[in-house]
Amino acid sequence: MEDVQTAGALQSLLMSRSLSDPELLAASGTAPDYAILPDVSVLKIGGQSVIDRGRAAVYPIVEELVEAKRSHPILIGTGAGTRARHAYAIATELGLPTGVLTDVGAAVSGQNAAMLGYLMARHGVPVVGDAAFGAIPLYVAECGAAIFAGMPPYDMWQHVPAEGVIPPYRTDAGCFLVAEVYGARQMIYVKDEDGLYTANPKTDKSAKFIPEITVDELIDLDLPDLVVERPVLELMRSARHIKSVQVINGLRPGLISRALRGERVGTIISAL
Amino acid sequence: MTTDSTFVTKDVASVFARQTLLDRDLVRQPDRPVVRLLPWLNVVTLGGRSIIDRGADTIKPVVDELRAAMSEHRMLILTGPGIRARHVLGVGLDLGLPTGVLAALMATEAEQNGHLIAALLAEEGVSYLAHGTVALQLAVHLSASPAAVSNGFPPYGIYEFPPTVGKIPPHRTDAGAFLLADAYGAARTVYVKDVDGVYTSDPATGDGELLPRVGAAELLARNIETLPVDSIVLELMATAKHVKEIQIVNGLTRGNISKALAGEHVGTIIHSD
Repeated sequence: MEDVQTAGALQSLLMSRSLSDPELLAASGTAPDYAILPDVSVLKIGGQSVIDRGRAAVYPIVEELVEAKRSHPILIGTGAGTRARHAYAIATELGLPTGVLTDVGAAVSGQNAAMLGYLMARHGVPVVGDAAFGAIPLYVAECGAAIFAGMPPYDMWQHVPAEGVIPPYRTDAGCFLVAEVYGARQMIYVKDEDGLYTANPKTDKSAKFIPEITVDELIDLDLPDLVVERPVLELMRSARHIKSVQVINGLRPGLISRALRGERVGTIISAL
Repeated sequence: MTTDSTFVTKDVASVFARQTLLDRDLVRQPDRPVVRLLPWLNVVTLGGRSIIDRGADTIKPVVDELRAAMSEHRMLILTGPGIRARHVLGVGLDLGLPTGVLAALMATEAEQNGHLIAALLAEEGVSYLAHGTVALQLAVHLSASPAAVSNGFPPYGIYEFPPTVGKIPPHRTDAGAFLLADAYGAARTVYVKDVDGVYTSDPATGDGELLPRVGAAELLARNIETLPVDSIVLELMATAKHVKEIQIVNGLTRGNISKALAGEHVGTIIHSD
C-alpha cells in the first residue's frame, strides 16, 4: 500500500482501474478530508415533532435560533411531518412507487422551510434551494444562518425499501448528508422527545431513556421503533466528518443553545 | 417523557399520522402491488468509458442502431461520464473534497455525454432531458418522440452517501439507470458496454468464461474482480419492485442493442434470483 499512497499513484489507478476496484477504493480513502464549513452546525427542526405543532412550539424555537446564530453559525434543515404522512398514505394505497412518494415528501419539507423562512426573514435568514447552495457560505457569514428543506433530492432515484414503498432516506438522512458534505461541526436533531428511548415513548410508557449509545450497539438492539431514520446509522458508520449526532427536545427552552455549545442535553449517537 | 400536554398537535388524519414511519410493522404493506408507471419503457444505458470515450467509430454505429430501434421501441437513453469523470475525480480527491462534491462533479461529465448523444439524434426529435424533466415529464416527452436522452448519474450530488471504503461516489451511472428504471417499472433495462457480458474472470486476461444468465446474489457471492456493471446494482436488485432482470450487451457488436430490445438473449442477463 505504501506506493499507492501518493497522489500520483492514486491518479494512475483512477485512469486504469474499474471504479469498484478494491485497491483504487482503498487508495481513494487516503486522500485528505477538507472540511468545507467546519464552524457551521447543522440543526434539523422536526416536521411532525416541532413545526406541525404551530406557534406554541415554533415561536420559542425561532427566538432561540435567532439568539444562537449570533455565536454559532447554523444551517437549519426542516422535516416534513403530518402532510407528508397523509400523502404517503394515499400514494401507498394507489400503489405508486417510492420515487413518487419522495417527490411528494420533498414538497412538504419545502413548505416547512418556507414557513420557517418567513418567521426568520426579519433577522436576515434566507431559505436556500438546491440550486442556491453555492451561496450558503455568504449567507452564513453575513447573518449566521440559512434554512433548507431537509429532504434529499433523490426523487425517482430514491432507494426502494425492502418492504412497502415509504422512502427510506428522508429528512434525517438529508440533513445528515448536508452536515457530512460540508464537514460541519456537529449535527443536532431537534425533536419533541428528550432523545432516544428503548421504544417509542409516545406509545409505550415503559420506554427507557438512552443518554448515549454507539451505532453498533443501536443496530444490535434492533429496536422496533427509532427516533432517527435507520439509514442515518449506516451513513454515520461510513462518514468521514460527522461521527456523532445529538437528538434533543426542542420543546424544552434553552436546549438548542446548550447543544450548540457542545453540551450533552439529549441522546448522543456515535460511530466512533 | 413527552411534553405533549402543553402543545396542541395539528394532524392530518391518515394511517401514518403520528408515526415515526420507522416502526417496521406499521409501514409494512406487503400485499399491495406497485404500479408500473411506464410499462413500455426501455432504459438503455451507454457506458462512458466503454462506448462514448471510444469516439466516433464506436458512437456512430451505436447511435445508428438506436435510431433504427426508435421505430419499434420507446427508449430513455442514459449516458455515463467516462474518462473525464476519472480526471475530475482525481483533481477533487487531491484537493480533499468530500464524496458529495465529487459526485456532483462526475455527474456533469455524464450530462455532457448525454448532450453529445442527444445532438446526434436531434433530427429524429430526440432531446436531452434534465433530471427534473425525467422525473416529472418523461411521459409527455416519450409520447412526442420515441426516445429521449438523459444523465445516467442519479441526482444525488452533494447528498451522495459516503461509501463504506474510500471516497469514490457509489451511486454512478449503472445505479442511477437501475433506480430510475425500477421507479418507472420499465420493461427492459439494457446496459451497453464493450464486453460480451459477465465473465467468470476479467475478460482482458482471456481465460474467463461468459455467463449467459446469472443471479444477482450469486454474482455478488462470486466476488468477481472486474464486473461490467457496478456491483451496487446487484445489491439494489434485491429490493427492486419491478426490474427483475438487467441485460448487459456488447455495443461494439452491431445488432446487439436491437436484439436485446427485441427480447433476444444476447450478452448476459442478470436476474434477481
